[in-house]
Amino acid sequence: MSAAVPIPVIQLLQVLTVALGAPGLMGVIAKIEARLQGRRGTRVLQPYYDLAKLCRKEALAPSGASWFFLAAPFVAVAAYLTIPLLIPVLTTYGLPLGYMGDILGGGFLLSLASFVVATAALETGSPYAQLGSSRAKTFSAITEPVVLFVVFTVALLTGTDLPYALAATVRSSAGQVIRPAHLLASAALFMVILHETGRIPVETHTGTNEFGMIEEARSFEHSGPYFALLKWGSMLKQFILFTILADVFLAPWGLASTQRLGAVLLAIVALLAKAVAIGVAVAVIDDSFAKLRLFKITEYVSAAFLLAVLGVFTLYLGGG
Amino acid sequence: MSSAPGIYAGTANVIAALMLLLEFGMLRQALVRDQVRLYAAQSAMISILAIVIAADRDLPELYALAALSGALKVVAVPLVLRRLLGAPASEETPGVAGSYTLNPASAVLACIVLAAFGFFCFGSLGIHSGQAPALALSLAGAMVFVAFALMIVRRDVASQAIGFFSLENAISLASLVLAAELPLLLETAFLFDLLLAVVVFGMLIRAHHSRAESLSTADLSRLRG
Amino acid sequence: MFGVILAILIVPLAVAIACFLVPARVATGLTIASGIACFGLVLALVPSATHGTQTYLSYLRADAVSGVFLLATAFLYAAVAVYAAGYLKGRTDRYTRRFYLGFNVFAWAMLAAPLMSSLALLWIAIEVTTVVSALLVAIEDTDGAAEASWKYVLIASAGLGLGLLATIFAYYAGAQVLGAHSNLAIQPLISAGRHLPKTPVELAFLLAVLGYGTKVGLVPVHTWLPDAHSEAPTPVSALLSGALLTTSFYAILRFYQVASAALGTGFPRDTLLAFGIASLLLASLYVFGQHDVKRLLAYSSVEHMGILAIGLSFGAPVALAGVLLHVMAHAAAKGNAFMGAGVFTVKYGTKRMSSMRDGLRLLPWSGPLFLLAIFALSAIPPSGIFRSEFEIVAGGLASGGNAAAAVLVILVTIAFFGLATSTTNMLLRPAPPEAVPSEPVLGAAGADGRQPAPAGDAHSDRAVLVETRARSSRVLAPGEPSAWMVVPVLAGLAVLILLGVHPPAELTNLISQATAQLRGAS
Repeated sequence: MSAAVPIPVIQLLQVLTVALGAPGLMGVIAKIEARLQGRRGTRVLQPYYDLAKLCRKEALAPSGASWFFLAAPFVAVAAYLTIPLLIPVLTTYGLPLGYMGDILGGGFLLSLASFVVATAALETGSPYAQLGSSRAKTFSAITEPVVLFVVFTVALLTGTDLPYALAATVRSSAGQVIRPAHLLASAALFMVILHETGRIPVETHTGTNEFGMIEEARSFEHSGPYFALLKWGSMLKQFILFTILADVFLAPWGLASTQRLGAVLLAIVALLAKAVAIGVAVAVIDDSFAKLRLFKITEYVSAAFLLAVLGVFTLYLGGG
Repeated sequence: MSSAPGIYAGTANVIAALMLLLEFGMLRQALVRDQVRLYAAQSAMISILAIVIAADRDLPELYALAALSGALKVVAVPLVLRRLLGAPASEETPGVAGSYTLNPASAVLACIVLAAFGFFCFGSLGIHSGQAPALALSLAGAMVFVAFALMIVRRDVASQAIGFFSLENAISLASLVLAAELPLLLETAFLFDLLLAVVVFGMLIRAHHSRAESLSTADLSRLRG
Repeated sequence: MFGVILAILIVPLAVAIACFLVPARVATGLTIASGIACFGLVLALVPSATHGTQTYLSYLRADAVSGVFLLATAFLYAAVAVYAAGYLKGRTDRYTRRFYLGFNVFAWAMLAAPLMSSLALLWIAIEVTTVVSALLVAIEDTDGAAEASWKYVLIASAGLGLGLLATIFAYYAGAQVLGAHSNLAIQPLISAGRHLPKTPVELAFLLAVLGYGTKVGLVPVHTWLPDAHSEAPTPVSALLSGALLTTSFYAILRFYQVASAALGTGFPRDTLLAFGIASLLLASLYVFGQHDVKRLLAYSSVEHMGILAIGLSFGAPVALAGVLLHVMAHAAAKGNAFMGAGVFTVKYGTKRMSSMRDGLRLLPWSGPLFLLAIFALSAIPPSGIFRSEFEIVAGGLASGGNAAAAVLVILVTIAFFGLATSTTNMLLRPAPPEAVPSEPVLGAAGADGRQPAPAGDAHSDRAVLVETRARSSRVLAPGEPSAWMVVPVLAGLAVLILLGVHPPAELTNLISQATAQLRGAS
C-alpha cells in the first residue's frame, strides 16, 4: 500500500503507539520475567485489564490533600503524552510539532511529571508516600548530571541536540555506531533508565518492599482512576525511555523515511519489537542481579556518571 | 557534526575505553579475587587489541605478542596471584576483602578527576602514531593515573599489587599505541620481567601476611622520618 | 674485549647459581673470588673503553661512561663480598646460601646495566635489580624489613613503570627518524638527536627523571630509600647505596644524552637542577635528628644523589668530570661508611646511635676508619669526594650557575654538621659510668632492637644473633668482630685517597673521554 499518510496523522499515530503500546510492553516484560523464573506468569494483556479495573473503582483522597493531589496524575500523563511528539518514534524526519522541544525539552517534561507526582505524594502526609518521594527526588538529583552529560554527548556528536539529528548521525555509518562516545553514552543512559523505571538493581518492580521502594511508593495514596492514570503514566515513561534508547542511540533503523502507510506500519512494528528487545534485556537483568542496598545506589550512579563523563571526554579529543 | 573515526579506530578506542572502565572496576571491587578477575579481563583486552592492530596494520609479530601476553597475563599471572594470595577455591568463603581509605563512590569521583587530568595531559601532546588512534593514548594516560590512584586509595597489599600490575597494563596499552613495531624480542623480555615481578610481589605479600596476620598496610608505619 | 664483557656478564650469574648448591663456606669463597675477578675484568676493560665505544652482538656496548659506572660497581662488589664473609658469621647455612644467591644476582644485574646498548634492555636490567634487591631487603625476617621491602618494591616498581613509559616515548621519538624497527640502541638515538620530534623526547626525559629518579632517590620519590637501606643487611645496604643508586643514575644519564642532543640543554638541565636541589635540601635537613645510623647514611645517599643531579645540570666539562669522579668516590666512601656502620651494629647489637658510645676505643680499626669515611662523605680533603665536589662547584661557577653552586656548598655544609654531630657522638663520647642501655637490647630480635621477638619464635639465626649481640656498651671489650670486615674498608680508604690526591692517568683519561661523550663531542 503506498497511500501517503498525512503528517498530522503520523504525529497522532506516534502518540497513540506509545499510549496504547505501553501497557502491552509492561505485560510482555512481566511475562518474560515470569518465564525466566520458571513460572507461567500472567497473560500479556493483563495491564490493560488492570487499568480498566482500576478505572471502575472508587477514588479516595486523604483528608489533607488539595486539588494538586487530584490534578497530579493528569499533569503527569499529559507530560508523558507530549514527549512522543518530540522524539523520533516512528519517522526519521522531523514532524512539525517535533520542533517544540529538543532533548532538553524532553528531559524537562520527564522531570516535570516526576516532580508533580512526587509533590502530590508529599502532600498526603502518608509516611510511605513521603519516603518514596523524598528518595526519588534525592536520587534523581544525582542522576541529573548523568543525563546532562549524555545530552552533552549527543550535542557534541551532532552539533545540535535534536534527537532526530543524532538518530540520523548514528544511522549514517557503522563507524558511528562503534565509536566509544556513542557506546559509553548509551551504556550510561541504559543505567539511568534502569534507575528511572525502578528496575533492579535500583528497586524491585514487583511486590512492595517498603524499605527499598522508591518509585513505587509515590503512588501509594492515589486510588481508583487516579491510580490508573499514575500506573499508566509510569508505563508510558518506561516506553518512552526505551524508545529514546532504541530510536536515538542504539538502533535507529526501521523508522519510516517516507509517508507511505506501509512504511509507517512497519515503523510501528519495528518500534514495538525494539522496545520488547530492550525489555528482554531488562528482564534478564532483573532476574540475574540482586537489588542494591539504598546507600549503594550512589555507587551505581557514580558508575553511570563515569560512563557518561568518559563519553564526553572521548569526544573532546577529536575522534572518540 | 564530528566525523566518525572509522571502524578500526572505533574498535581500538572502545577496547581502550573498556580497559579504563575495568580499571575503575578494580577500584570499586572489594574482594581481591574479583580484582584479579578484572585484571585478567583487562589483560585479555590488551591481547584482543593487539590482534586488532595486527589484523588492520598488517604486523604479524603482534599476533605472537598477543598470544604470549595472553598466556602470561591472562592465565599465568592470575593463577600465580590466586595461589600466592591464598584465595580459597570454594564459593562459600569468597576470599580477602580489601580496605579503603575513601569509600568507593568518592574514590570513583576522585579518580574521574584524575583520569580527566591524565586524559587531557596525554591528549594535548599532539602525538599521533600511525598504528592506533591518539584517543587510545589519552585513555592509556588516564589509566596510568587511575592505576596510581588504586595503589594509593586501597590500604591492603594485595590491592596495591594489583594496582601495580594494572599500571603495567596501562603502559602496555601505551606501548601498543606508540610502539607497536617494537622488536618482539624486547616485548617478550618485558613480559617475562613482569612475570618475575609478579613472583617477587607474591612472595613479599606472603611474607607480610604471615608476619602481620593480615594484608592491611595500616600498621606499616613504624619507619618514619 | 668481547671476551671480557662476556665474562663480566657470566661470572656473577654462574657464581649465583653455584651458591645455591654448594655449602655456605664455599659460597662465601666463590663470591669473593667472583667479586675480585669482576673487578679485575673491569680494570682490563678500561683501556679499550677509553679508546672508543665497542658494540657486540648488537646488544652489548661498552664506552667510557659505562666504564666509569662499571668501575664503581665492581669495586664495591669485591669489597662488600669480602666484608660479607665477616658479617655473616654465625648465620645459618641456609640463610647464607640464600643471601649469596641474591647478592650475586644483584651484582650481576648492576654490572649488566651499563653494558646494555639498548634503552629497553637497560630498563630490564634495572627492573631485575629492583626485584632482587627487594628480596634481599626482606631477607632479615623482621617487621621492619618486611615493611621496608614492601614499600621499596611497590614504589620502585611504580617508578620503573614510569621509566618504561619513558622508554616507550623514546622509542616513538626514535621511530620517527630511525624507522619502526629501531631497537632503542642508545648511540643511534643520540646521533639522530637533532631530528627527533621535541615533545615525545621532552616527555620521555621528564618521565625518565621521575621514574628512574625513584630508584636514584631523588626527592620527592625517595621515600622508600631510608627504610630500605636501613632495614637491609649491611652488605646489601652498602651495595644499594653505593652501586644501585648510581646505576639508576646511569639510566638517567643516557636519557640526558638523548634529550640534550634533541632539545638542547635548557630543559634537561633545568629539570635535573630542580630535582637535585630538592634532594639536597631535604636530605641535609633530614640528616639531623636521626636515631638509626643506617638511616642517617641513607639520607646522606640522597644528598649525594642530589649533588650528582646538580652536577649534571651544570653541564660544564669540569662539572661533568666531577660527576663521574663522584660516582666512583661515593661508591668507595658510602661503601666504607656502611661497612663501618655494620661493624658498629654487630659490635653493639643495635642500630640506634644513642646506644653506641666510645667507638674509637672499642673498635680500634673500624672506629677511626668510620670517622674517616664520614669525613670523606662530607667532602673533607684529601678524599676523592672533595675533589669531585670541588670540580662540580667549579663547573657550576664556570657555567654561570652561581646561585646553584652557592646553594650546593651551603647545603653540603649543613649536611656535614648533621653527619658529624651524630657520628662523633658515637665515636668519641665515652660510655656513661652507669651504662644501662635505654632500649630493651637484651633479648631483642634482630639488630634494630626495636621490638621484642614474638613469643616462641625460634628462627635459629635470630637466636644466634640474640646471643652474640645483646651486650651493653659498658661490658664490651675492645676488639674488632672480624678481620674480614676491616680489610675492605682499608681498601676503600686507599681508593678514596688515591682518587683525591692523584687519580691514576688511565682513570683520568677514562673520565675525560666520558666527559667528551657526555658533551656530545665524541
